[in-house]
Amino acid sequence: MSIPVLTIEHLRVDFPEIVAVNDLSLTVAAGDVCGLIGPNGAGKTTTMRGISGLQECTRGSVKLNGHELASEPDELKKHLGFMPDFCPTYDQLTASEFLDHFARAYNVPDRASRIDKCLEVTWLTDKRDALCEELSRGMKQRLVLAKTLLPDPQVLLLDEPASGLDPLGRIELRKILLQLRDAGKAILISSHILTELSGFCNMAAIMERGRLVKFGSIAELGQQMASRRMSVKWRADGGKALEILKVANVKNLNAADLGATFDFDANTDALDALLKTLVVQGVRVCEWRGSGDDLEQIFLQSGAKELM
Amino acid sequence: MSLNDNPIFLTQKRLVHRGGVLAAILIAALIGVSLLSGLIAYLTEPQNFNFSSPQVAGKIFYGWTIGVEILVLVIGGFSRISNTLANERKAGLWDSNRLTPLQPWQLVTGYWFGSPLREFYMAVVLAGIGFVIVLLGKLPVTLWLGTQLLIFSTALFFGLLAVFAGLVAQRPQSAFVFLLLFFFIQFPSFAMPKFLLTNFLLPVFGIANLFRDDGRSGDYNPVGDWNGLPELFGLPVYPILLSLILQTAIGIFLWRAAIRKTANPFQPLILRWEAVAILGILLVAQHGLIWGLWRGRFPVEHYLHENEELLSIVHCVTLLLGAIILAAVSPQPESVRVKALRLNIKNLGVIYSGSAVSLTVALAVLAAAVLFLQCALSLAYSWEIYLIAVGNLLAFFLIFSLLLEYCRLRFRRRALGFVALWLFVLCVLPFVLAGVFTNAAIGKLSLLSPGVVALADSNDENLDYLLGIVVGHFGIALLLFLGWQRQWKQLLARASAIQN
Repeated sequence: MSIPVLTIEHLRVDFPEIVAVNDLSLTVAAGDVCGLIGPNGAGKTTTMRGISGLQECTRGSVKLNGHELASEPDELKKHLGFMPDFCPTYDQLTASEFLDHFARAYNVPDRASRIDKCLEVTWLTDKRDALCEELSRGMKQRLVLAKTLLPDPQVLLLDEPASGLDPLGRIELRKILLQLRDAGKAILISSHILTELSGFCNMAAIMERGRLVKFGSIAELGQQMASRRMSVKWRADGGKALEILKVANVKNLNAADLGATFDFDANTDALDALLKTLVVQGVRVCEWRGSGDDLEQIFLQSGAKELM
Repeated sequence: MSLNDNPIFLTQKRLVHRGGVLAAILIAALIGVSLLSGLIAYLTEPQNFNFSSPQVAGKIFYGWTIGVEILVLVIGGFSRISNTLANERKAGLWDSNRLTPLQPWQLVTGYWFGSPLREFYMAVVLAGIGFVIVLLGKLPVTLWLGTQLLIFSTALFFGLLAVFAGLVAQRPQSAFVFLLLFFFIQFPSFAMPKFLLTNFLLPVFGIANLFRDDGRSGDYNPVGDWNGLPELFGLPVYPILLSLILQTAIGIFLWRAAIRKTANPFQPLILRWEAVAILGILLVAQHGLIWGLWRGRFPVEHYLHENEELLSIVHCVTLLLGAIILAAVSPQPESVRVKALRLNIKNLGVIYSGSAVSLTVALAVLAAAVLFLQCALSLAYSWEIYLIAVGNLLAFFLIFSLLLEYCRLRFRRRALGFVALWLFVLCVLPFVLAGVFTNAAIGKLSLLSPGVVALADSNDENLDYLLGIVVGHFGIALLLFLGWQRQWKQLLARASAIQN
C-alpha cells in the first residue's frame, strides 16, 4: 500500500448556522487521483479551502508528508498547489509575466525554463506573450493550473477545474491531469459533474451536507455497491439470453433485439458466473460491460442527492 | 530580500508601468512648472505682482506645490493601495499570493511601496520643482527638507493605514471611509493648532510651522498663530519630531495589524494590549499638549483663558477614539462561536475573555488616569467633575461595546444600521429634542453630554443632575448587558446543539 502524502483527519469547518464540513477524514497517496464528489453545497470547496489554509477550521488536522498545517504552514505552502474554482489572474500581465510573478514568489530555481515547461504542459506556449485579459476562460484556467504547477508541488488541490470549460477545453484538461497523475502527483479534484472525473480518478470521496458519505478506491467502492447496471449485447439467440437473465433474477431488465441492460448483484464472482452461463449456453455475447460510469453508479448508490 | 527581489513589489511596479506613468509625470511637471513660472515671472517683473518680497512669493508658490504633492502622494497613494488590495482580495489574487511561501511582511511591503509608484513619481517631480522654487525664492533649504520629510513620512503612515484598510474593507470604496474619518476629525482641530493631537498625527502644524515668519520675509505671514513650539507637559518640543514619533508609534501598531491579518485573516484586527497601548499613547500625548493650560489645577487656574473648553473637546474625542478602538477589538460572534466549539467551552468564560466589553474597564481606567493629570492638584475642588467625566467614559464605552455586540448577535448583517440608529437615539436625539423644546436639560441626557458639559462648564451648578444622568446611563448599560448575555447564551447553546 502506498504511503499517504496528504492526510486529513476529522476536519470540521463551521459557518453560521451550518457545519460546512463535518468530521471529514481522508488520505491521498502519490499517484492517486481522488475525486471529491458531491452536489452543490456539499462542502467540497470549503474542504479544499480548509486544507489549503484559506478557511479557518474549527478542528481536525491536515498533514502533508507528516507536516501539520496548523503548526507548519510554510512547509505546507511549499508542497501544496491549490487551484481555485475561478481564475484569479493579473489582467494586465502577460501569461509569462504572470507565471514569473509566482515563480519568484515560490523561489523556483531556473525560472525561465520552468515557466516554459509549465506553459508547454498546459499548451499555452504560443500564448506566453498574450495579456491575461485576452485569454479565453479555458486558457485562463490552464494558466492558473500552470501557476499551480510551477513549484512542482507534491499535492494538487483542484477545485472544479473544468467548470465553464467547453468540451475541447475539458478534453485538454483531462489530458493534462492524466500526465500529472502519471508523474506521481497526489491530486484531490472536486467536481459535481461526474463525467469530468470518470476515467482518471482511482479514488473517490463522496460528500453530502458536509459529511463524507463514502471514501475509497473506485475498485473498493465498486465492490461495495449493492447492485450494478450492466449492458450486454449478442449477435443471435436473444431469446435464450433473456431466459437466462430472467432465471438469474436480474432486476430492471430492459431487453432489445440484440442486447439488454439490467441491474445485477455487484459481486464480481456472480457477474462472472452469469457471463459464463450465457457463453456456455451458446449465446454469442459480443459486448459485456457496466452500463454507464462506475463513478456515477457509486455516487448514485451512496445516497448523496442533488447531483447536477 | 530587497525590495527589488520582492515579487509583489515587482508585479505592482510592472502593473503601474503598464498602465502608463509618463502622462502622470507630465501632469505633475506641468503643474509644478506653472507654479515655478509664476515665481519666475514675479522675480522678473516684481512690479506686476502684489508680493512684498521674493520670500513671500516663494512661500506662496512652494505652498501650492506641496499642497498638490500632498494631494497626490498622501490621498492618491492611500486610495491606490487600499483599492489595489481590496480588488485583489475580491479577485482571489490576494489568496493566491498568501499561499506562496512569501512571508507576510513581504506581501505587505510589496503593496505598500509598489501600488503607489505612479503617485510617488509625481511627488518626486513636484518635490524637485519645489526645491527650485525654494532656491529662487531665497527660502531656507530647511523649509524644503522639513516639509518633504513630513510629506513622505505621512505618505508612509497613510500607506500603512491603506494596507490595513484594504485588508479590512469588504469593498474598495469602503477603505476610503478610513480616510474620511481622519479628515472629519482633522477639520475642527484647525481652530486650536497647538493643542490638538490631530495637527501632529497629520503633520499640519509641523508643515505650517516651517512657513512661520522668521522676520526675513517682510510683512507676509501665511500661518499667523501657528508660530512657536508646542509643549508636552510644559516642555517645548519640535513639531516635526512630535509628528514623526507619533506616526512611527501608531505606524508600528498598523504594521503589526497588517502582518497579523496577512498571516491569518481570522485573527483580530487589534489585540487587547495593543488597544490599550494605542489609546494610551494618543491620550498621553493629547493631554500632554494641553497640560500647560491648567498645569494640573483644572479648573481652578487658567494659564491660557481663550482655550477653556479644550478639556471638554478632548473628552469628546476620547469617547470617539475609544469607540473606534472598541469596534476594532470587538470580535465577530462567529469567531467566538468557532473558538467555543474548538475549545469545547460551553460557558460564558470564552465570551468574557474575548469580548470588547471586558476591555472597556481597562480603557476607561486608562482614560481616567490620564485625565487625572489635569486635575491632580485641584481634586478637592474638581472631584465631582472628575467623577462625572470618568463615569461618562465608562458608561459610554460599556454601552457602545454592548450595543455593538448585541446588534451583531441579534441582527447580523443589518447590525451596523441598528448600531447607528441606537447611537443616534442615545447620543444625538436628546440634542434635537433640547432644540425643539428649548430645554437645555434634555440635551444633557445624551450619552456624550455629562462629561463634556461638566468639563466645559465647571461652574455648572447642576453637577448632581449630571451625576444622576451618568447613573441613568449605567442603568441602560445594565439592561444592555442582560440582553447581550442572553444573546451570547443562545449562540453558545446553538453551537453546543450543533456539536451534539
